[in-house]
Amino acid sequence: MRPTLYDYVLSPSCYKARLMAALVGSELESVAVDFHPGGDHRKPEFLMLNPAGTLPVLTHGGLILTETTAMLVYLVRLAGRCEWLGGEDPASAARVQQWLAFSARLTASLGLARLHDMLGRPADIDAARWAGTLCLRELESALVENRLLGEDFLAGNAPTVADVACFPYVMLAPDGGVSLDPYPAIRAWTRRIRALPGFVEMPGIHRLHDLRPEPGEAEAAA
Amino acid sequence: MASVCGTLEVAVWRSASGRVAAWVDRCPHRGMRLSHGFVRGEMLSCIYHGWRFDGAGRCRKIPAHPDLDPPETIRTQSLACLDAQGVIWIASEAPAVAPPDLGNVVPLRSLTFEAGIDAVAAMTGEVPDRSLLRLDAHGPVPPLVLLLQALGPGRSAVHALAAPTGTGALVAASRALEDFRRRTEAQGIAA
Ligand code: FES
Repeated sequence: MRPTLYDYVLSPSCYKARLMAALVGSELESVAVDFHPGGDHRKPEFLMLNPAGTLPVLTHGGLILTETTAMLVYLVRLAGRCEWLGGEDPASAARVQQWLAFSARLTASLGLARLHDMLGRPADIDAARWAGTLCLRELESALVENRLLGEDFLAGNAPTVADVACFPYVMLAPDGGVSLDPYPAIRAWTRRIRALPGFVEMPGIHRLHDLRPEPGEAEAAA
Repeated sequence: MASVCGTLEVAVWRSASGRVAAWVDRCPHRGMRLSHGFVRGEMLSCIYHGWRFDGAGRCRKIPAHPDLDPPETIRTQSLACLDAQGVIWIASEAPAVAPPDLGNVVPLRSLTFEAGIDAVAAMTGEVPDRSLLRLDAHGPVPPLVLLLQALGPGRSAVHALAAPTGTGALVAASRALEDFRRRTEAQGIAA
């Protein structure tokens, strides 16, 4: 039996679970939840599943997960692809945890700005954008340092759950009025993620165009 | 990528073989930002209707009319552009002088400051060595070359190059630049 994802296509958090599953080659059952405009995540039946009323929710057998980072770890272990959890030495393991926690700050800043701009969620938009900018500066600096050390991803030389947890809200920052133009190291990192085997898209996040066949030349390339 | 040259918005891109070009950031078709486009091989494709331009800015393919050889007059507006020492220099008119020789340095990183170029320039007066050495805890900082670029009122970019040195010193230099940015932006808020 496959895990079931209660899913909303425009939610970056739901996308994290879909992306993780795709990257480790697993499949999910998907139940679409009408987050907007239906507000089904606030309805009694949904609150029975997740009292917090947040998306996504992942269920598998009797297990109910409501925190996205926990889902990522679960999907990786379920697929036996533990290389996605990072190295086992204390520093490597801690670096992964550091970025998983950091991803919550991205959601609270860039994610809030995006909800404000796209769905009219009330917010102090300048404060949300500035908090997001500070997060992006932190991420940019870390990626610059990693590159100086010869590392391509957040927790070392291979992608981990940390990259999957941070990538979507960063990539969608422009939806909340925060440009990625000032961050060359972040842009290069998002390109590396978008080029990973198994990568899947969501509205607003695309595979690298450069790697796609030219329209009309698909047959020639195949 | 998107950049700025004076008051001009500019798209700068590098082809697969490494050739760099800078164009006014408007597609000759319907004015879409070319910096939103994508590079495949030696051509840049506009994201909107897929018109493809070669390194010289000439339109080579219009997907809606695959059999048409696009007329030579369909071109992007090119800027003068030079790739030297890891820095891409752009100018809206052919410049009279070559960019300065920066000496023996390697590119470190580029940062955007929420401060005008004059404010950044004023702060650099106190940058060289002494204030950067405040960060000795992270290791000694190598000599830096800072290139300042105005991005608009109250915004600028600092492109930093460093004398070749060990990784630890480069990391320290990167942190020193962040410290420099925090202090520069704080000055602006205080003013
Ligand atoms: S606007 Fe660029 S191809 Fe149409």
